[in-house]
Amino acid sequence: MSPRRNVSAAPAPSDAVRRRGPGRRRAPTSGQGSGRRNTELGLLVMVVLVTAGAYVLAALGQGAYVPANIGPFLLVLLAAILATNLATRRFVPDADGMLLPIAALLNGIGYVMIARLNPNLAGFQALWSGVGMLAFVGVLIFLPRVRDLANYRYIAMVVGLGLLMMPMIPGLGIDQNGSEIWVSLGPLRFQPGEFAKVALAVFFAGYLVEKRELLAMRTRRLGPLMVPDPKHFGPVLLAWGVSLMVMVRQTDLGSSLLFFALFLVMLWVATERPSYVAMGMVMFGVGAYVAFRSFGHVRGRVDAWLDPYKDPTGTCCQQILQSGFAMADGGIAGTGLGASGSFRFFAKESDFIFVFIGQDLGLLGATAVMLCYVLIVGSGLRIAIRADNNFDKLLATGLSSLVGFQAFIIMAGVTRLLPLTGITLPFVSYGGSSLVSSYVIIAILLRISHESAQPSASRRVVGAGASA
Amino acid sequence: MNRQIRRVGIALLVCYLAVFVQLNRIQVVDADKLNNDPFNSRRAQREYNRPRGQILSAEGAVLARSEDYEGQFYRRKRVYPEAELFGHITGYLSFNYGFTGVEQQYNDDLSGQSFQVQVNSLEDMLVAGNENVGNVTLTVRKDLQQVARQSLGEREGAVVLLDPRTGELLALWSFPSFDPNLIASPDREVMETAWSIYNLAQGKPLLAHSYRERYFPGSTFKIVTAGTGLQTGKVTPESPVYDFRNGYLPPQTTKPIQNFGNGNCGGALFTILRESCNSAFAEMGQSTIGAVDMVRGAESFGFNQSVPIDLPNATKSVFPTDVIATPNPPKLAQASIGQNDVAATPLQIALVAGAPGNGGRIMKPHVLKDVRTSEGKVARSFEPEEWLAPMSPEHAQTLRDAMLGVVSGGTAAGLQIPGYEIGGKTGTAQLGNGLVHTWIAGFAGQPGQAPSLAFAVVVFNQAETSQTTGGAISVPIARTVLQAALPIPR
Repeated sequence: MSPRRNVSAAPAPSDAVRRRGPGRRRAPTSGQGSGRRNTELGLLVMVVLVTAGAYVLAALGQGAYVPANIGPFLLVLLAAILATNLATRRFVPDADGMLLPIAALLNGIGYVMIARLNPNLAGFQALWSGVGMLAFVGVLIFLPRVRDLANYRYIAMVVGLGLLMMPMIPGLGIDQNGSEIWVSLGPLRFQPGEFAKVALAVFFAGYLVEKRELLAMRTRRLGPLMVPDPKHFGPVLLAWGVSLMVMVRQTDLGSSLLFFALFLVMLWVATERPSYVAMGMVMFGVGAYVAFRSFGHVRGRVDAWLDPYKDPTGTCCQQILQSGFAMADGGIAGTGLGASGSFRFFAKESDFIFVFIGQDLGLLGATAVMLCYVLIVGSGLRIAIRADNNFDKLLATGLSSLVGFQAFIIMAGVTRLLPLTGITLPFVSYGGSSLVSSYVIIAILLRISHESAQPSASRRVVGAGASA
Repeated sequence: MNRQIRRVGIALLVCYLAVFVQLNRIQVVDADKLNNDPFNSRRAQREYNRPRGQILSAEGAVLARSEDYEGQFYRRKRVYPEAELFGHITGYLSFNYGFTGVEQQYNDDLSGQSFQVQVNSLEDMLVAGNENVGNVTLTVRKDLQQVARQSLGEREGAVVLLDPRTGELLALWSFPSFDPNLIASPDREVMETAWSIYNLAQGKPLLAHSYRERYFPGSTFKIVTAGTGLQTGKVTPESPVYDFRNGYLPPQTTKPIQNFGNGNCGGALFTILRESCNSAFAEMGQSTIGAVDMVRGAESFGFNQSVPIDLPNATKSVFPTDVIATPNPPKLAQASIGQNDVAATPLQIALVAGAPGNGGRIMKPHVLKDVRTSEGKVARSFEPEEWLAPMSPEHAQTLRDAMLGVVSGGTAAGLQIPGYEIGGKTGTAQLGNGLVHTWIAGFAGQPGQAPSLAFAVVVFNQAETSQTTGGAISVPIARTVLQAALPIPR
């Protein structure tokens, strides 16, 4: 279906064209757009039903009663989800219709698991979900054109690095569970790292789009390798190095790994040079080895990964062993929501929540959750491919891989595929920072998706040389 | 760029595929292995909240039951009304520390998961309010446990009483014991405090000394030596006649094995058993019987073998086997009188003592009488089963007569109870630090009938005095327990 024909059929096409792209006001709704929004609404309603059903089942499994607050629960859930759908109808009508429902589904499953594992946190998680959806709507409202973010790339860098270093500022940072990744601002506590990753993705995208030609050229010889002029590399290496250093200092290995993956993916996609990937891998290997040799906590994680039976009841290995036991307990079909004990478990509602999904819902449930991430990554990358300018492309790729790799790192960690590095499971784990930043990512992706579906003549010219 | 973006997608897909494979490994392929991992306490933890049957003593006293409980993690708690009295038998079902004892051994019956309980409670399921669980009745009698506890008092030791004809355990007491209510407490603090206190306490209260710890058996082991001599045909009631002397000097040493109090003794089997003559039994084992037959004989009585008792983690009793490969006459001579590397659980000694009266056979020891559904229907019961047959009936009869002589006119004369036939053997195992384990083991029953009781009583770490040839300390305890257990004669 050609966009041009849609435009002519739309109620006020000339207005939109004159504005050169979508503004804050209602964008022209193509036929395809409203179809996507209806699909989205249908999926969202299904999400509500699945979440409410799971919520009731979990309560039945735990205490054989139907939760008293199921009525208000349903209403609030429905209202929140309808509100997001209204927002997408209003601001990004032509955007992808899958991302939001999948995110909401993961959010819903996560909420049910948290309510069942630690009822004290359920209220907060509901609140954070609401804040996350508000942030989602906020981004849709206040970010009319993603490309404009490219102009703020250095600000994004400063903001990103600043956020990363915040926990190290005396008086602000809080040491919680051995990781100094929390910041306390008055009554508000949050993990700035969760927001830093979005800011840094913006910076990488902006910077790499600007310099990709230069970076792709190899002018200097370094031994057998031709390498680009280091001056073009400076800011990227700086940002990367500082972020890694900060992470290692804060003993937040999961985020450190995530940043590395993000950096590598974006660099490779921007320059199309496989040698960067190879170089990156070598650098990672060296870094990992140095970290292994010099940091006790890194060595502990690797030891527990290699042989958890070394000290089965000690702090190093007890957690990862118990994770295996819990998931084995679940088997193929799971022990049933809430039917099995949660036992004494550390970080069960955050880093280890995937373990309990595996326990309660079994291999089937854990695989379903994993497929949700496959769909998010798939949708995100499709948006990247369809995006008609390089900044959008690169940013969409970066944000999608952020979600994808973050989910992979923690799922691989708790299943002992990789050494365990604590990080949240996006949308599912307990925590406001993670939820809000994840919803922001979805909002940006939807905005890019909407823009690339826009039939703007001017943008065609601008983006003509963009699709590589 | 698009090609790279697609490849990023493929790379992530491969990553997820790897997670999927790993999930399959954990949740399907290796699931059984992980579920049975010794460090996996989830099974016990889940059992904690399940309906669970009672454990009852032979006379029907409740030893363990489940009660409703309001807690964050728990909906039930396990209560043990007899506390320490049956701690080592029922064991505990603890959220933190898993399970032991009958709670572990018969978990599937108690929780109603065993085939027999499920089949037999099919009709019960129609009765409203019925829980599909099994109630486990034990052969152990509460009254005998109490008598054992009272007569042993606050001395570290053990009392084992069983029916040698069936292997039913009637009493299995050891001091110190522990209160399973504390270890199974739903109050985490109580549970953890009790656990650490019991683990630090002197005498290892959590360990059932009656069947999970072994000790020097001392002269009670002479039953094994005599039985082996008789069974191999090398010893008869008439010959050999051992020299009358105050010690025996085995080859390759200058250190003789002394008789008690350096006294002189000797003679044929009945005489030397009655007087517990070290010099004679040392010579019998080392010279008359020899290493190969001594080892084989000890093993035929159950040494170096796992005891097939229906309680978890029973310890095996040991007799040195290296005396065959590297002849060591002094060691063999010492082992023949229950010293050196010989060590036995009180349960093992009771089983040995029961064999002569039971036609030379040792039955499988057990604590289970039967499992019933909540409606009282018997789902299964324990069938007596022979474990070992170290002696032929006629040789057993000879040894039985010899042991009767020990009570009627020997070192265990204090065991006599008018109207009953009682045989036994005392033991005083020197620990080398001035302390001794004092033993008495034997059998009792009505005259002319197969003995209905076999027993072993041991009191650990007693100060050695001139009188303590086993008798003075353990015999009165055994006598009290026997008086309570023997049927009133008709």
